[in-house]
Amino acid sequence: MSKHEIRLRRQRLTARGSDRFRNYGAVLQRHERDMRLKKILRVFTLFLVILIILVLIVIVVRIEKKAVKKNTTTSYTLSQKVAS
Amino acid sequence: MSEDEIRLENEIVARAKRDPKAFAGLYEKYFDRIYFYLLRHTDEEETAGDLCSQTFVNALNHLNRYEFRGLPFSAWLYKIAANEVNKYYRKNKGKKVFSLEEAKVRELVDQNHLMTDMGWDEELIERLLAYLKELPTDMIQVLELRFFEDKDFAEIAFILDMTESGAKMRTYRALDRLRKNFNVKEKYE
Repeated sequence: MSKHEIRLRRQRLTARGSDRFRNYGAVLQRHERDMRLKKILRVFTLFLVILIILVLIVIVVRIEKKAVKKNTTTSYTLSQKVAS
Repeated sequence: MSEDEIRLENEIVARAKRDPKAFAGLYEKYFDRIYFYLLRHTDEEETAGDLCSQTFVNALNHLNRYEFRGLPFSAWLYKIAANEVNKYYRKNKGKKVFSLEEAKVRELVDQNHLMTDMGWDEELIERLLAYLKELPTDMIQVLELRFFEDKDFAEIAFILDMTESGAKMRTYRALDRLRKNFNVKEKYE
């Protein structure tokens, strides 16, 4: 079975048939709307990337703080043991 | 298309990249051709109208990516329109339709000496349509662009995303098959 169908059009295609779809104003409007959406999406993506970076920084700082705290506690206990 | 016309068209495109209102000239120039191309591929006026609007919206949205490659601007529009047609059929899962004008089919037959001594009649049309139906879809696509849209091989290659020699080979093969079916020995020039 073929994947396409061939139909025969008896009349010639004329500009009259296409005129009711010709509307550059509507095309321009859709283009402007698409551009606005694109801009919003770009700003949102940027915001999301900044947020992710900030969250990562906070996580790294916390982990570092915890590690430093652990180190200080360990060295304090050791010095106490040595003194006694 | 003359070099002056191509240069003028490029100037309009450059202007439209800064101000989309300047695109109106190209819209008016190519609207009918793109609409008829889409109508041949869908056979539904409403669908062709919608796809035509979408084609021009896409062209405007991606105008900054357009680069001149020695082809008329219309080739780029046809490429977008062809993508829209493919998207439409993928979405609707229907059979691809080629709605061909009788007058153009006659031209195709005359140009390629497919006419046999029996002359032009309903039976010949039916036979031709039956053969076209049996051809693979990609061959019909090149024949349609070559004989119904009057595109040269470079443009066909660009529109269908293939090499120029590939487009030529596909056209000649399609015509050879048609000729074989019509028992015509003359070669395509």
